[in-house]
Amino acid sequence: MSLPPAPARSSPLDLDAIWEALQSAHFGLAVFASDRRLIAANGRLKALFDRASKTLSPGEALDAFLLALARTHEAVVETKPQRWAADLAAALWHEEAREVAMADGRVLEFLPSRDEVGRLVLSVQDITRLKRGERALQAAKDLAETANLTKSRFLRAANHDLRQPLATLKILIYTCLSLSDEAARREALHAMDVSVEVMEDLIRALLHIGQLDAGNIVPRKTTFPAATLLDRLRIQFEPLARDKGLILDVLPCALPIVTDKALLERVLANLVANAITYTPVGRVTVACVGDGTHCRIEVRDTGPGIAPDEQERIFEEFYRVGRAEDGQRKRLGLGLSIAKRISELAGHPILLESRLGEGSTFSIQVPLGDVWQSEVAETEISEMLAGQFAGLPVLVIEDDADLRRVLTGLLQRWGMEVTACARLAEVEAAIESGALEPLLVLSDYRLSGDERGTEVCARLRAHLGADLPCVIVTADADPESHARIRDLGFPVLTKPISPPGLRVLMHRLLYETTEMLPAEPQSHQGGE
Amino acid sequence: MSESAPIPIGSLVPLTGASSADGIEFRNGLTLASEEINAAGGILGRPVAPVFVDTGRQNAEAVVAGAQVLIHLHRAHAIICGYNIGPQNSEYEPIADAGILYIHHNTLLQHHDTITSNPDRYFGCFMSDPAEYWYGQGFIKFISWLRETGQWRPASNRIAIISGSAPYSIVIANAMATAAPQFGWEVCCGPKVVRTPRTDWSQALSLIRESRPNVIANTHFFAGDLAAFHQQFMRAPVPALVYLQYGAMHAAFTAATGRSAEGIIVGTVVGLLPDAIGNAFAHRYRARFGASSTPSVGAQTYVALHHYAIAAALEGGTAPPGHFEQNRRVAARLRRTIYRSVVGTIQYDVATQSAIPYPNVVGDPSLGMPHLFFQIQDHTADQILIAPDPYRTGAFRLPSWMS
Repeated sequence: MSLPPAPARSSPLDLDAIWEALQSAHFGLAVFASDRRLIAANGRLKALFDRASKTLSPGEALDAFLLALARTHEAVVETKPQRWAADLAAALWHEEAREVAMADGRVLEFLPSRDEVGRLVLSVQDITRLKRGERALQAAKDLAETANLTKSRFLRAANHDLRQPLATLKILIYTCLSLSDEAARREALHAMDVSVEVMEDLIRALLHIGQLDAGNIVPRKTTFPAATLLDRLRIQFEPLARDKGLILDVLPCALPIVTDKALLERVLANLVANAITYTPVGRVTVACVGDGTHCRIEVRDTGPGIAPDEQERIFEEFYRVGRAEDGQRKRLGLGLSIAKRISELAGHPILLESRLGEGSTFSIQVPLGDVWQSEVAETEISEMLAGQFAGLPVLVIEDDADLRRVLTGLLQRWGMEVTACARLAEVEAAIESGALEPLLVLSDYRLSGDERGTEVCARLRAHLGADLPCVIVTADADPESHARIRDLGFPVLTKPISPPGLRVLMHRLLYETTEMLPAEPQSHQGGE
Repeated sequence: MSESAPIPIGSLVPLTGASSADGIEFRNGLTLASEEINAAGGILGRPVAPVFVDTGRQNAEAVVAGAQVLIHLHRAHAIICGYNIGPQNSEYEPIADAGILYIHHNTLLQHHDTITSNPDRYFGCFMSDPAEYWYGQGFIKFISWLRETGQWRPASNRIAIISGSAPYSIVIANAMATAAPQFGWEVCCGPKVVRTPRTDWSQALSLIRESRPNVIANTHFFAGDLAAFHQQFMRAPVPALVYLQYGAMHAAFTAATGRSAEGIIVGTVVGLLPDAIGNAFAHRYRARFGASSTPSVGAQTYVALHHYAIAAALEGGTAPPGHFEQNRRVAARLRRTIYRSVVGTIQYDVATQSAIPYPNVVGDPSLGMPHLFFQIQDHTADQILIAPDPYRTGAFRLPSWMS
C-alpha cells in the first residue's frame, strides 16, 4: 500500500516510512477523503474486523464499511442495519466518538477527527479490557450500594425485633419493683432472664441473616422437641399479651421437628408479636398439628382478619394494615416481612388463612424428626446441669478473698448456688434479709477479728436449725485442734481442700444423714 | 524386668458387700480377656496378669487404699475396673501421681469435671461408658419415642422420679427432671432422693401413688432393693410404666420378682448386644464361668482390657508406674482408637475421655456406645432389647398391670 502524494512540505518527511510504521500500531487507522471514500487503512484496522474488512479497500465508502459491519452481524445492531450504519457514519463525520459492541464480546472505540480540508482520520481500538474493568467496577459499586441498602434494612429489622423483648423487659421491671412476694419476684426475674436471652439470640439470628445476605451461611438444621421453642415463646410474650388484656395460649407439643431452631424461633416470634399487636380482644393461640411426616405450627388470633387484597401485601416491607387501632404505637411494618424472609431462608414458607371478622391463622410447616436425635436445650452436659449438688444452696464463709473466690468457683462448677461471706456480720445481714437458707455451710476456722468458724456456725444453727450441716475448714493440721472442732459437732477438712474429699463429705452430709429430701431441680434450666 | 515378664493389670472390684454380684462378674470379664490375650501371644509377647483388690463397700478409703496397693505393691501398668460407687474420684489422685492408665465404668458425670479441670494430670483416666447423665436424658427420649411411634398411648404425661442416695442415682434423676418438660412430660413427683440401700419403699410408693403418674422411674440400682420396690409396688399397682435402673438387668432381680417382673423396663448405657458378636462372647463366658454367670456385666472389664491391649501394642507396649512418657503415648492411642466391642462401639470423647453415647450424642451406631432399653417379657428367658435400632430384637409390650 502506498499513500497518495503528500502535499509539499518544507521538511523532508519520509511518509512511506511513517505509514509503514503505522501498520504495526496497536490501533486501527483509516483516512477517508472529504467525499467519505477511503484513502488508506492500516493492517491493524483490517485485523479488527472479519468479513467487513473486505470493504476497507481504497475508494470504498465509509457508509459501505459500516453497513457491512451491521449486515455481517459482526457488530451488535439493535436497529435496522441501514439506520445503524447511517447514524454511526453521521456521528463519526461530526467527530463524535462511539463505542461499538461486537458480537464476539469485544468493544471497539471509534475515534474520529477531521482535518482542515474535510478528511476524516479514524482510529479504532479494542477497549474490551478497559470496559470489562469498568463493568466490574460498576458491579462492585452496585453491590456496595445493595449491601448498603441491605445494611440499612438489616438495622431497621434489628431495631424492630429488639423492641419486643425490650418491651417485655420494661413491663417486668416495673412489675418486679412492686412485687413483695418472693416466689412471684423470682418468676418475674426468670422471665426477665429469658427476655435477655431472647435478645441475645435475636442479635445472633440477625447477624446470621446478614451473613445469609452475603451468602456466607446456610441454615443449620437440627432435630429438637418443639416444646423447647414454644416454652420460650410463651415466656417471652405472655407479659405483653397480659398487658394488652389478651390470653396467650401456647398449647403443649413435644413433637421432634427438624429445622434451623434460631430461624424458626424468629419467624414464630414475629408472627406472635404481630398477632398480639393486631388483636384488640380475645386470644392468640400457638398450636402444633402433626400428620405423621410434618408438624404444622399455627399462630391463630381473634383479630379482625385480613382482607383478601391485603393478604400478600402484608408481607411487604413497611406495609402496615390500615386498620391499626388509634393510639397504637406506630409500627414499622417489618415484622411479617422479616418473618417471610427468614421462613424462606429456612425453607418453610408461611401460609395464611384469614377472613374479615373471623381472625387469622398464620402457619408454617416443618418436617418431623427422630426423637432419638433430638437436641435438648442444654447441648453441653456438666455437673452444673444435673450434678448431684446442682441447685443446692451453700454458704461459704472465708475471710481470704482468693480462697473464697476459688472455693466459690469450685462449688459453682458443681452447680451449687453459692453465697459467700467474709465474716459473721455479713452472714447475719444475709440471714436478716431472709435471703439465706443454705442446706450446707463451709466455714474457715480462723476468721478475721478473732472470729471462729465454729462460733459462726453455732450462730447459724441457732437461726436455721440445729441439724444444719456445717463443715469447718482449717489450715491447721494439728490432730488435737481437729479433735476439738469435731467435739463441737463439726466435721473438719484440712486446707488445701481436696475436691474429691469435699465431694465425699458433702455427699455424706447432704444425702446419707437424712431419710428423704427433694433433689433440687436446676433453677437455670431452659424453658422452665 | 524381663521382656517376657507378665504385665500386672490391677483391678479394684467389690468382691464383698452390696455390689459383690457385679464385682465377681467384673473379675470374670478381666480374667477371660486376659486368657484370650495371652492365648494370642500377650501384648507384644508379654502375658497380662490380672491382680484383684476387693473394694468391699466401695467407699473412698477402700478404693484409694486398693489403688495404692496396686500401684506400689504390684506395680500395675494399668487399673481396669467395673464400677466403684463411693470414692467420688478420690482414686484418681494416686493413679495420676503414678502416671498409669485407669479405665473404669463408674458411669459418673463428675468424671467429666475432673478430667476437664486438669487434662494433663488426669491423662490416663478413662471412663469406658457414657456418664450416668445420659441415662436420664435417654430414658425421656425412650418414652417419648414409644409415644411418638404409637407403640404406647399414655393416658397422661405425668412422671414420678425416685432416686437412691448415690450420686449416680441423683444425677440420673436430675437429668430426667431436666429433660422431661422439653419432651412434654410433667414431673408430678420428685425427684425424691431416698437414703439407700433400703428394702422398705412404702413411704416413697405412697408419694408415687398419690401423684397419679403414668410413668414411674426408680434410679436406684441395687438388684435386691429394686426387687423389693417392685414387689411392694405390685401389692397395689397403678397403671404406669415402671422403669428400674440397671440392677433389674440381673438374674437375681427376676429370681426375686418372678412373673410379676414381666413388663418392667430396664436400661443400661453399657450392655452386651444380643447380636452374633455379643452372643458368641456370652457363650464363651458362660462356658468359662458357668451358666448362672452374667456376661452382660463381665463384658465391661472384658472389653476395656482388650481395648487397652490394642492401644498398648500399637504404641510399643505397656509401662509401669512412673513411666509417664510411654503411658501418655498409650493413652493418646486409646483416645483415638475406635473399637467395636461386644457392648457396641467405644469412641472416646477427647475432651472428657468418656465413651460417646449412641443415639443420645451421635446418630451413627458405628460411632457410639448404644444406650440399651430392655423389657422383661418372660421372666424365665432373656430380656428383650426393645430400643434402639439397629440393635433391637423385639417390640415393646404393655405390662400386665396396665392392661
